[in-house]
Formats: sequence, C-alpha cells, structure tokens
Amino acid sequence: MAEVDFERRLERLFADAPDYPDAQGFADRIEGRLNRGWTARRWLIGAAGLAGGIIGASQLVMSNLFQRAEAAEQSAKVLTQGLSHVTSTSDMVAAISGGYGLWIAVGLAVVAMGFAVSRVIEEI
Amino acid sequence: MPGAMQSSLASLHDVELCSYAAAGERRAFGELVRRHGSGIRHLLRRMGAQAAEADDVAQDAFLAAFERITEFRGEGTFAGWVKRIAARQYLRRLQREKRLSAFAAERGEDEADPSVGDAGDRIDLDEGLKALSPAERLCVSMCYGAGLSHGEAADALNLPLGTVKSHVKRGLEKLRARLAPGEGVVLEGRRGNG
Repeated sequence: MAEVDFERRLERLFADAPDYPDAQGFADRIEGRLNRGWTARRWLIGAAGLAGGIIGASQLVMSNLFQRAEAAEQSAKVLTQGLSHVTSTSDMVAAISGGYGLWIAVGLAVVAMGFAVSRVIEEI
Repeated sequence: MPGAMQSSLASLHDVELCSYAAAGERRAFGELVRRHGSGIRHLLRRMGAQAAEADDVAQDAFLAAFERITEFRGEGTFAGWVKRIAARQYLRRLQREKRLSAFAAERGEDEADPSVGDAGDRIDLDEGLKALSPAERLCVSMCYGAGLSHGEAADALNLPLGTVKSHVKRGLEKLRARLAPGEGVVLEGRRGNG
C-alpha cells in the first residue's frame, strides 16, 4: 500500500508545476502561429478556388460551349419571335436569352464553380 | 484580444474551451495554452529537455493538439492529453537527433547519492529527478508525469518492456530515498504490464 501511496504522491508532485513568468508570452506566441497558419490556409483556399474557376472557365471555352450556346440562342430568338405573337410576357424571355444574359450566366457559373471548389478544399 | 473577451474565456471550463477550439476558435485555444503551458513546459524539463528545447517541443505539441483537437473526447484532462502528445514529440526529437539510443543504452549508474537532500523539510521533485540517470528520469517522467503506462512508454522509447520497468523501478527507489527516506519499501511500479 505504501508504494501505491508514494506513486500517487509522485503523480501529484508531477502535476504540480510552477507558473512560468512568461506564460502569457508563450501563449501569445502559439496564438500568433495559429493565426498565421490560418491566414495562410485561407489564402491557399482562395487561390485554389480561383484556379478552379479559371480551369472551369477554360474547360467551358475549350468544349465549344459558346458556339453551341449561340446556336441555342438563335433557336431561342426564333422561338421568342413565335411566342411574341402569343403573349406579351415573351419580352422577358427574349431579354434573358439575349447575348448579355448568356454571358452573365457563364460568369455566375464560373463564380459558383470557384466557390464550390473552395468549399470542398476547406472541408477536406 | 479585448479584455472582456479574454475574461469571459477565462471563466470557461477546459472542456468548453476545447469545443470552441474544435470549432476553430483560436482565442479559446490560447486560453488553454495560458492555463497549461507552464505545466507542459515543466514536464519536458523534468524529462531532461533544456529550457529552450522544452519550449520548442511544447509549442509543437500545442500546435499538434490544436490540429487534433477533435480527437480529444474529454475522457481525461486536457492537460494530460497534451502532456502525452508533448512526451511523444520529445521522444521523436530525441530519435531524430540520435540522442534517444544514448539515453536507452545508459544503464543508470548511481551518479548521485540518494541519501543526500532535505526531503524531510520540503518535497522537491525537481531536485530528486536530478539524482536519476537520464533513462530513469525519462521513464519515470513519462509514466508518472505524462501518464503513459509502462507498455506505452516502452513502445514510445522502442525499448523492451522489462528495460523500461527496470528504469522505472530504479528511478522510483532513488526518488523515494530522497522524497520519503523513512519508507524503505521496494518499488516495482503499480502500472504493471500495461
């Protein structure tokens, strides 16, 4: 029993450590390193998201999407002209299917892709 | 950090701070470091590290603990968990610098007279540890300071279990002679084969 008591006493002695005078500075140094690491990680994630967006956009360009989209746009115009005889709300459809609408959609797709890539990397 | 935020963190329990830290709150982790940094640094010095080396290893241990904070289940104390990380990191450093084999090969000569000291007046573990050989000091500190079992210490040190037990036994005998000279019981270490 005496040895058990001594070992418990030893554990208590080990647990009893003095407070170092530079304890605050030590903690601040570690917090600083954590903050630097976090900032670097955010930059890395942002850069990866940007790279992902650029790659996504280049893939869209390389896949002749725009030629296909222009063909679809022509079809949409024909359809819109047809619809304009049916109802007046077709003005809105025409605006969306016009050239600007297409480019805005592509831009939004790139941003969304970049955001999605960023989120995936952050989760990993 | 604003003083109000710091004081509110200071009122939280370690487990609450850990959950904040797990959510990425670095100030909460800073509060944990403020609370337990000295204990970790002192343990490493007790294991035989020089002051600057102990601070380096303690920093690395805390950074590793932050990265792995979600693994801390609150089954033991946060300080105990970090102490185990720190002890293992110190051993890895010794291995990297080829110093561990010198520690392990060392046979524990009685370089200090264990009867010398004023343990009756004041328990001084730090002084007592100085009377131990480096290997004894390392093994005793790992088992009683970092809370590792003999088996875990043997694995971490890459030593046979029997060797670790011998170091611990001799170390405890020397410490007992210094800290409790009136009690002449032979110590085996109750951590057994664990």
